[in-house]
Amino acid sequence: MEETNEPVATEGREKMTVLVAVDESEGSLYALSWALDNLFAAAAVGGAPNKPQPLGRLVLVHAQQPLQQFIMHPIGPAVYATSSVIDSVKKAQEQNSRDVIERAKGICRRRLQVEAEAVVVIGDPKETICQAAEQMQTDLLVVGSRGLSKIRRAILGSVSDYCAHHANCPVLIVKPPKTSH
Amino acid sequence: MATEAEAAASVVGKSVMVVGIDDSEHSFYALQWTLLHFFSPAAGSSSPFKLVVVSAKPTPTSVIGLAGPGAADVLPFVESDLRKISLRVIEKAKEICTSHSVADVEFEVVEGDARNVLCEAVEKHHAEILVVGSHGYGAIKRTVLGSVSDYCAHHAHCTVMIVKKPKPKH
Repeated sequence: MEETNEPVATEGREKMTVLVAVDESEGSLYALSWALDNLFAAAAVGGAPNKPQPLGRLVLVHAQQPLQQFIMHPIGPAVYATSSVIDSVKKAQEQNSRDVIERAKGICRRRLQVEAEAVVVIGDPKETICQAAEQMQTDLLVVGSRGLSKIRRAILGSVSDYCAHHANCPVLIVKPPKTSH
Repeated sequence: MATEAEAAASVVGKSVMVVGIDDSEHSFYALQWTLLHFFSPAAGSSSPFKLVVVSAKPTPTSVIGLAGPGAADVLPFVESDLRKISLRVIEKAKEICTSHSVADVEFEVVEGDARNVLCEAVEKHHAEILVVGSHGYGAIKRTVLGSVSDYCAHHAHCTVMIVKKPKPKH
């Protein structure tokens, strides 16, 4: 069996491209903080005091739900949204995405003075996050986890589950902190 | 006592990283990837993580399955075979660590089902992060064979990192 790319120890740590998936939930922001503390603080501490080594790129990705052109009720007339309604909903969604990204960037700046890149992708979160990870050749994808039970996960769907199975790169799943009783 | 060791670890400020390995290429790849990205040789020993490598040794009875006639005869052979395999796994892990110049590593072999062993190791070491490889099974194989990485991702009480071998592009 051929040895597929044996990692060669280069001088200093390999620069990593880390993609962090963020949305409005507290879980994803906790995941971001965790990633900053454990992955990026490492570089700041480990490197020489004068020149902190950046661990690599941090990219925030936010998946925006695609706008549905009309709302179909199972029974009853289909409601078609007028163009003005579509516009205002779109604007609201974009504003929402911007807020999420701003909040996430603020966390990065406060923690570590790290300027993060941000990407907003439109579409189903599961697939678009995995696609973004592939396109950007990420080394590590960080997702939060809601800590749902098995049944709920099957019904509600889990982005972290999907990413763990389908992403081409290593996936880091950050659990919400255990609430102390 | 164990609590003193933990206190010492927390005084040093190192979080614990548990890496689960077995006899597969995927888990050794996961170990190498982790060492490469988290334990830089140039920075000396100033990595923020303490590495604990855990290998689960399946119990002989679980391997043999239902006890049939002659199972008792086979048992000692299976037992010694499993022991040899787990020793080989740890030896290889040690080699990988030294080749990446990482010295501060603990190695453990625990008997039992891999899923429980890894989750218990996380509890025992109060690990910040658990690293597992992934066989990359499809959905059906995963249901039939069971997936350790899946179980750990859902049941471990800490962050879980699933390292996959990059799929070859068609």
